[in-house]
Amino acid sequence: MSSNKYWKGVEELDQTQEFVSSNANEFSEGLPLEQVFSNDDSTRANRRDFLKYFGFGLGAVTLAACNKAPIKKAIPYVEKPDNVTPGVPLYYASSSVSNTEGFPVLVKVREGRPIKFEPNKEATYFGGGLDGLGHSALLSLYDTNRLKGAMVAGKRKPIAWKDFDKEIVTALNKVKAAGKSIAIVTDGSTSLLSQQAIADFSATYNNTDVVSYEPISYSGITRANNASFGKAIIPAYNFQNADVIVSFGADFLGTWISPIKFHSDYSKNRVPKNGKMSKHYQFESIMSLTGSNADVRVPMKMSNVGQHLVALYRELGGATPHKGMEVAGNNIKNAAEELRAAGNKGLVVCGSNNEADQLLVNAINMMLGGYGTTIDTTNYYMGQNADEAAFTSFLSKAKSGAYGAVITLGSNPVYSYSGAEDILAKIPLRISTSITMDETSSNATHVATDLHPLESWDIKQPYKGRFILAQPTISPVFEGRQASSSLAAWAGADVSEKNELSHAYKYAKKVFSSAVGGDFNKALELGVVENTSSPSVPSFNITGGEAADALATKKGSATELVLYQKVGVRDGAYGNTPWAHEMPDPVSKVTWDNYLTMSMPDAKANDISTGDVVKVTVPTGSIQIPVLIQPGQTKSTYGIALGYGRVLPDDVKNDLKDLGQNAYPLVDMKGGFADYTIGDVKIERVTGASTYEFGITQTHYSIEGRDIIREATLDEYNIDPLAGSHVHKPKMISLWDDYDYSKGHHWAMAIDLNSCTGCSACIVSCSIENNVPIVGRDEVRRRREMHWLRIDRYYSFEAPTKKDLELSIVHGGDQTVEAGEQMTKEKVMEAYSEASEDKSTAYNYYENVKVAHQPMMCQHCDNAPCETVCPVLATTHSSEGLNQMTYNRCIGTKYCGNNCPYKVRRFNWFRYNENEKFDYHFSNDLGKMVINPDVTVRSRGVMEKCSFCVQRIQSTKLTAKRENRKMNTDEFTTACAQTCPSNAIVFGDLNDKSSEIAQLYANDRSYHVLEELGVKPSVQYMTKIRNTKATSTKKAH
Amino acid sequence: MSSFYSESTFLALIILSVVLLAIAALLFGIKRHLSELNREKFAEEAEPSFYEAKIKPVIDTWNPTIATLVIAGVLIVILGGFGYKFGMDEVGVQQGYAPSQPINFSHKIHAGQYEIDCKYCHSTVEKSKSASIPSLNTCMNCHKYVKASEKYNGKTSPEIQKIYNAIGYDGENMEYIEGYEQKPIEWIRIHNLPDLAYFNHSQHVVVGKLDCQTCHGPIQEMDKVYQYSTLQMGWCIDCHRERGIDSENNDYYEEAHKNMLAEGKDYITVAENGGLECSKCHY
Repeated sequence: MSSNKYWKGVEELDQTQEFVSSNANEFSEGLPLEQVFSNDDSTRANRRDFLKYFGFGLGAVTLAACNKAPIKKAIPYVEKPDNVTPGVPLYYASSSVSNTEGFPVLVKVREGRPIKFEPNKEATYFGGGLDGLGHSALLSLYDTNRLKGAMVAGKRKPIAWKDFDKEIVTALNKVKAAGKSIAIVTDGSTSLLSQQAIADFSATYNNTDVVSYEPISYSGITRANNASFGKAIIPAYNFQNADVIVSFGADFLGTWISPIKFHSDYSKNRVPKNGKMSKHYQFESIMSLTGSNADVRVPMKMSNVGQHLVALYRELGGATPHKGMEVAGNNIKNAAEELRAAGNKGLVVCGSNNEADQLLVNAINMMLGGYGTTIDTTNYYMGQNADEAAFTSFLSKAKSGAYGAVITLGSNPVYSYSGAEDILAKIPLRISTSITMDETSSNATHVATDLHPLESWDIKQPYKGRFILAQPTISPVFEGRQASSSLAAWAGADVSEKNELSHAYKYAKKVFSSAVGGDFNKALELGVVENTSSPSVPSFNITGGEAADALATKKGSATELVLYQKVGVRDGAYGNTPWAHEMPDPVSKVTWDNYLTMSMPDAKANDISTGDVVKVTVPTGSIQIPVLIQPGQTKSTYGIALGYGRVLPDDVKNDLKDLGQNAYPLVDMKGGFADYTIGDVKIERVTGASTYEFGITQTHYSIEGRDIIREATLDEYNIDPLAGSHVHKPKMISLWDDYDYSKGHHWAMAIDLNSCTGCSACIVSCSIENNVPIVGRDEVRRRREMHWLRIDRYYSFEAPTKKDLELSIVHGGDQTVEAGEQMTKEKVMEAYSEASEDKSTAYNYYENVKVAHQPMMCQHCDNAPCETVCPVLATTHSSEGLNQMTYNRCIGTKYCGNNCPYKVRRFNWFRYNENEKFDYHFSNDLGKMVINPDVTVRSRGVMEKCSFCVQRIQSTKLTAKRENRKMNTDEFTTACAQTCPSNAIVFGDLNDKSSEIAQLYANDRSYHVLEELGVKPSVQYMTKIRNTKATSTKKAH
Repeated sequence: MSSFYSESTFLALIILSVVLLAIAALLFGIKRHLSELNREKFAEEAEPSFYEAKIKPVIDTWNPTIATLVIAGVLIVILGGFGYKFGMDEVGVQQGYAPSQPINFSHKIHAGQYEIDCKYCHSTVEKSKSASIPSLNTCMNCHKYVKASEKYNGKTSPEIQKIYNAIGYDGENMEYIEGYEQKPIEWIRIHNLPDLAYFNHSQHVVVGKLDCQTCHGPIQEMDKVYQYSTLQMGWCIDCHRERGIDSENNDYYEEAHKNMLAEGKDYITVAENGGLECSKCHY
């Protein structure tokens, strides 16, 4: 057993008074009865009040009951579409909404309503998973703020498309006649339909300039690749081929380029097989999701990334090592050694957007020989390749008055590009194709309201030669028109529907036959077409030496601000999807907000604590934002997430309206590129501001320091497969009779802590499948989040190195710590000597924390403690091993929640779907369309919890019975397991001996959480193995 | 007349009658008081009233406790009966519920007289949880031609005309009207299982091999459909306890069937197969 002390948050580690008191009770707040009953003159309810309310209540109920049961109607189709069977879902292959470059999914449709995204397993290249935002973006279809049709500024109601087109065409012709240009600002999507439509449009209006704009830029990579081998592209990265991965600030599992695909590739090599697994070094300033999964995580200043790269380059033998290049302790040296040994199975990636850094990364990868194995420049990535230089030059041209019209095609530059609003306002005709009133469309003169991606036809090409087909899965909810058809209409084409075939369909078919080729209907069915070529190695123009020399002199700044993306929200484009905001950030566990991440030493030095509001000033601007102390954050660095502070229409009244601060204006454009690392940060506490309370879930449901997480190093595991699991197992005597599951099914789940990265896609997938309500920031603050599945993130301290100890121990006391020993906070503190008066080095140990993620849901215990305490038998056990929850029997005593050792039962406090206070799309008719009709929408006053997706179990069983055959366990899986991009969750029938789950249950690494309680859970975890030597070394800067 | 029933007159009438009643009560009280005074004054042996002569002696023989309990008991039974009926309606137990439908569709004619298979119209009953009410194009498969005009002097039956009006069909010329705004028929739902219970028709019809009539009663004899069963959980459970599953002819139950034979049983009831567990219907 690991002797690590795990902790979820700083307050738990320090056992602050608030933490202790709020954790003493199962529910952090009592019932607010006193508030309800209190009068002005008395704070307590008295007997009279009770009688009064009781009497009124009785009377009111009697009156309310004097009503016959309401008459319900059953309204069939007038003409039923052939393929629709009421009650049976249909699945269409299409493309994810939030990934504009295209990502294959299946859309589950019930009676014409898309209700869930499921992974498209046909598209093996993309890994068959999906992320949290991808799932959440479904709600954008049912957003009441969607525009209802073609809008003209100044008019509240949509106008007819015919009149709208006439107006636009006249205006465009006027622009042409005046000798001015038309600009089309695209969102950099890889849509072949848009590209064709733009080409057709430009043929009619030859005065058209096309600019692509994306809020997050990867121009550092494209420019470097252009310089290195003459192709301005983002390559395809093959993490599955990499044995050693060294990442410098690239959050490739969370937000960098194409994280869902990277997840599945990365995880293929993360489970020890034949004594081997990949090794992952992460050098970074903020604690990213990727960093939290690294074997060796080294705190680094992002502004100093060049120095690190130069050091690595020289260490690898690219040039003679220079003196004074000692960065990151031995870690660069170790990384170089392992990379050299891995050869072309080594991969270096870098999150910097600076061309110079990326040039050196290219040189390193070339030196390793990774091109062709870990990096593919032939079937390269096509998305997100917009260069901000193009947009800046467009803006300067616009400033000079050269443009008479601008069409923003799906892009929203006013939100994410500071200063774009004023310049765009100079263009007289501004047409937006947004589907809601966003920052750009509210400043437009015309909005040619697009169709939602789920209502549209499209062909996307996320990777060269890999096409994804998108098809409508619902008939248009409002009177929008697909943007490609709008462009065609303005170019003179007739876009009206003919023979019930839309223009977009015919257009898609035409584009398909010319650009892709083959059977269109077959392609639609599969959703993906692959016409790739075998990768070749590019020839390089530039050697690393020049790049290294250029960087060697560039010093990092003393303080720096890193602008990053959060896993759930990303660039903010789908900022109006509450599921994404309710999903706790995988690392900070904060919901609904962005914040300034700060290291513990900085916080202590400035006497700032979590929730204090500060003014952050950098040369590009300043922002007022609350602070979150983030363990693992590099000292003197700060982080703010982009994608917040959206300006939404006035009628949005929920938490979405007031979501954090927009950090886009802080992006530094001085160097001719979007630099997300800004030097010279000043932090001042805002005087008079009250402490901000985050909706943060990290310390909810504390597990009181019990042995929950097990981990071992790869070396230990190779010697002893049971490493990390040597716990003293008491002899178990059961008070219960054992269940006999030998007949029928026995459902169980296995979760591999090695594959689980904590990305939280499962949380959102579970919520959508099971109609879990969204509760909002305020309720999260009260610890009333409803997620059936949570991911616990645990920190633990790294052991200091011998050198660290020599350096740190100032007062020469007894050395109680062995280098490499597993650490408790006390030991670390002693080692680093917090007694030191020097505040600038005390607390430095908070930089080196290890992270473990653990999904936690109902464990479906055989001897379930919840079942024995329920006074009304609302929770019972099934013969298939399920712990069943019967909502209608539940009277809400909450005993079960109290008695659950895993803290996975949730009490439903409100009728969320009928309460206007919870306006997260479910309280209106449009939003209710997303509800899964096979799962009860729970009312208030009941307990709920993970059901192992019993609706899926039942429906798969029924299908087998109906088809007169045996059931295969691999026919279905739970919503969480299905969406997991790294296949960390496996669900199945233990009685099916050939099933994956049965094999995993026999694995050496398996253990049950809180096994010693004897509750016999049906969820098995697998020990986390870190690929570190027993004495991993580190100390950085 | 209408003014007579206007709200203000009605209110005035109520006040008036209340006042009159009060005066009557007052007068009656005065009269009683006066006669009592009279009796006291003359101290005559007044003739005992009917109550005192006949009823009071009987009541006096009753045990007061038992009498109170009996009377209370009777009241409780009567009120409870009403309350029970009311409550059952309220929670949706509507056995016998037979609302009037927008079209007077007769199952007796279609299923009884013409012996049309239930599944012809309720076509998803073998595939889905819902048996589904047929869409109008299903009706039109026959009613394009069948107009029952022989009963209506050569005119289309007014009930069938309702279908035409909804879908946009010109019965005279036997053709669909182009550009017609169709409106669906809004049937009144009779069988209202609450949302908390999951019921699947295909499970019972295909796997359980039940006849429609088992739950829906003699539907082929109903001119107007009514709810035959209670649709209460007890009713579900009773059936699940009694009925066997066809384990022999379904490969899904292969193992269960073997086990059953080994145990020397004739059949497995639904309950023995887990059919009473909460999560089989409630999730």
